[in-house]
Amino acid sequence: MTSFFSHLRLPRRLRPVAALAVAFTAAVLPASARAEQIPSFVQDGTLTICTNPTLPPMTFVKGQDVTHPEGFDIDVAQALATRWHARLSVITMDFTGLFPSLSAQRCGLVMSGIIRTPAREKSFDAVSYQDTALVVVGRKATPTLSSMDELSGKDVAVESGTSYVTRLGVVNDALIAAGKPPMIIQQYPTEEQVVQQVLIGRVFAFVSQDVELFYRMRQLRDKLHVLITPDIPDYRHFAIYIRQNPEDRTLLQNAISALDGDGTLQTFRTKWSVTDQSTKGGAAEAGTGGMFDWGAFFSALTSMAFLHGAFITLSAALISHGIAIIISVPIAIVLNSPQKSLLKVTLEGYVSLFRAAPTLLQLLFIWNAVPQFFPIFREQWFTPFLATILALSINESAYQVEINRAALSAVDLGQELGASALGLSRRDIYWRVIFPQAFRIALPPTINEFINLLKITSLASVISLQELLAVTQIQVARTFAFTEYYAAALIYYLVMVFFFLFLQKRVERRFSWSDRKKVVSNAA
Amino acid sequence: MQHEITTNSMISVRGMSKLFGKFVALDRVDFDISRGEKIVVLGPSGSGKSTLIRTLNQIEPHDSGTLIIDGKLINAKTDPIQLRCMVGMVFQNYNLFPHLSVLENCILAPMRVRRMTRMEATALARRYLEQVGIPDQADKYPIQLSGGQQQRVAIARALCMQPEVMLFDEPTAALDPEAIVGVVGIMDELAEQGITTVCVTHEMAFSRRIADRIVFMDQGKIVEITPPETFFTAPQSERAQNFLNQMLRY
Ligand SMILES: Nc1ncnc2c1ncn2[C@@H]1O[C@H](COP(=O)(O)OP(=O)(O)O)[C@@H](O)[C@H]1O
Ligand SMILES: [Mg+2]
Repeated sequence: MTSFFSHLRLPRRLRPVAALAVAFTAAVLPASARAEQIPSFVQDGTLTICTNPTLPPMTFVKGQDVTHPEGFDIDVAQALATRWHARLSVITMDFTGLFPSLSAQRCGLVMSGIIRTPAREKSFDAVSYQDTALVVVGRKATPTLSSMDELSGKDVAVESGTSYVTRLGVVNDALIAAGKPPMIIQQYPTEEQVVQQVLIGRVFAFVSQDVELFYRMRQLRDKLHVLITPDIPDYRHFAIYIRQNPEDRTLLQNAISALDGDGTLQTFRTKWSVTDQSTKGGAAEAGTGGMFDWGAFFSALTSMAFLHGAFITLSAALISHGIAIIISVPIAIVLNSPQKSLLKVTLEGYVSLFRAAPTLLQLLFIWNAVPQFFPIFREQWFTPFLATILALSINESAYQVEINRAALSAVDLGQELGASALGLSRRDIYWRVIFPQAFRIALPPTINEFINLLKITSLASVISLQELLAVTQIQVARTFAFTEYYAAALIYYLVMVFFFLFLQKRVERRFSWSDRKKVVSNAA
Repeated sequence: MQHEITTNSMISVRGMSKLFGKFVALDRVDFDISRGEKIVVLGPSGSGKSTLIRTLNQIEPHDSGTLIIDGKLINAKTDPIQLRCMVGMVFQNYNLFPHLSVLENCILAPMRVRRMTRMEATALARRYLEQVGIPDQADKYPIQLSGGQQQRVAIARALCMQPEVMLFDEPTAALDPEAIVGVVGIMDELAEQGITTVCVTHEMAFSRRIADRIVFMDQGKIVEITPPETFFTAPQSERAQNFLNQMLRY
């Protein structure tokens, strides 16, 4: 344990400049004008922040309520909101969605334990609020390193979308220039997956921040230790990011300096063990033993968080598919008609476009790109759930059109002839004769498609929908009980899928008219 | 204005043509059919027989010429549903609805089109199922029946609309010889009941027995209209002669 702590650098105090700025402001301005000006990103008395709550102790979900993250960042955000007489609203999402959401004006600022880098400052304004250092961490048995060069040729895990990826690229360039093999970098979407790669021995080391490590060490102190803490000047601060605006930047800077000056930040640091000293007292939480922890499994299985996640998954899939079916039937009828028309060409384009475009891309497009052109889509009512429904029902309707077309063409042409010769109206021909037969043909592929959709909803975690898989990952980040939580999620998916397969069997039994053998046995 | 000239004709056709794209499937045909008359349409495959009788209930609308049925001029503007209530049709492939039972096949149109109650329609259907000789199959699905039984259902289904004209398009062409005997027997009975009938068939004995006149078609044209005795013994055209020679060879 001592070897681990001895390799950490003590966090330094925030820049002296910041402290000076506070003193200066206080001295120069008359008392009446000192009432704080409020930055423009605080709108309607609300400070909205975007965060990816999988980075303890900065931002993470401590309890079962995934919509309610906690941590150092959240406390700082709350202190800022209070200062500005605003209400705090927290939007949680995948890390890769944070900056696009900031651009799309879904939130006023991004606070998610993010390193201050010059690259990011080209597009956004940044204000530092916490010192940090980059650390390379390996398993307990791995000897420490004396230079980054020793990572040559080794597997290194890192969270995707973070600045560490770029930084490791620089190290690799140096290695290649020196004629050495580069590191093999593996990127994972969440931090706990990065840690898990080292724990299970797939990679040699992972790269992270010291503050996160202090926290992780409570759970994992007998399994991991720091291999090296390279001194990289660009990677020393966590920053709050806002859209570029010099005035807002100054106001935010002043607020942070004030919080630092009055000891608020220090209180939070102690509270969240952001310094290594404070972790010493922290009792080790449930570690990750080698055995399957049935208790954790059952508590996950019966938790409100999982139940809620499953409900979101199920309702998103049901509603999207329902809408998709309603849209797809008229489209299929138009596309199946023999005559050419502009409408037909347009619909053919619609179907090809949405069959071709990856679902994940469609979700990201609707959530992050569309609001830049239509501001109405960044308003409160346009929730991740609505965005998911919109993206998935459009996407799914394209597939469903193909199923419907095949089913409609499989109904013998003589059926329409026979029905119209009896004087049935067009409406009756469709509803009484063609649809019932097409329905039977379309049912198995439609259920198949629905089961697929049920699983595809997990993609919506990138736009912060708290569906089953997003809930699982957030819970895993808290507990590190990978196996138990994945197993619990699997059970939920299996139960849902088996229910629909069962339903399919029941409905198909009603279609016994299509199968001579079954009809005869039923009649007997 | 009523078309007085046609009052004694059930169907009156003048210069009627039908095109599929550029292909002329019906070429300016003329004929009259009186009430209660039995017409058999003969002709080689592809000569336009099906097209002709499909224009009579407008499931294939004609392109030019006049068509008058029961004194009413039929064109693109007339409501085809009224016409189809009056003109029933039986197809070579039965075209029964596989998802409905025999009884449901029979009562669907009477209920939806004629607005009968389920009870009325069921009573009517049972009467016609009795008439075509399959009263005990009412609750089965079409797939459970033989071809001959299915065609009987199709005939009963058409009769349930109580039409004044019946159109048959090769009703026995898909049946085995034994089933043909049964279906032809039913058609004989119908003929006796005096319903106006237009039938496309290759059953020569049946044609001779029931037809009042034979319409012979070739390449979309009506080549001759003659009583069966004349047609089968002394056809007027060379094409009819050739057709008969072919038929007799097989
Ligand atoms: N829907 C259609 N589209 C194009 N051509 C058709 C269509 N229906 C029939 N035909 C053509 O019209 C001609 C007459 O067909 P049909 O009336 O079915 O002949 P028959 O019943 O005497 O065998 C044939 O050459 C056939 O290919
Ligand atoms: Mg034909």
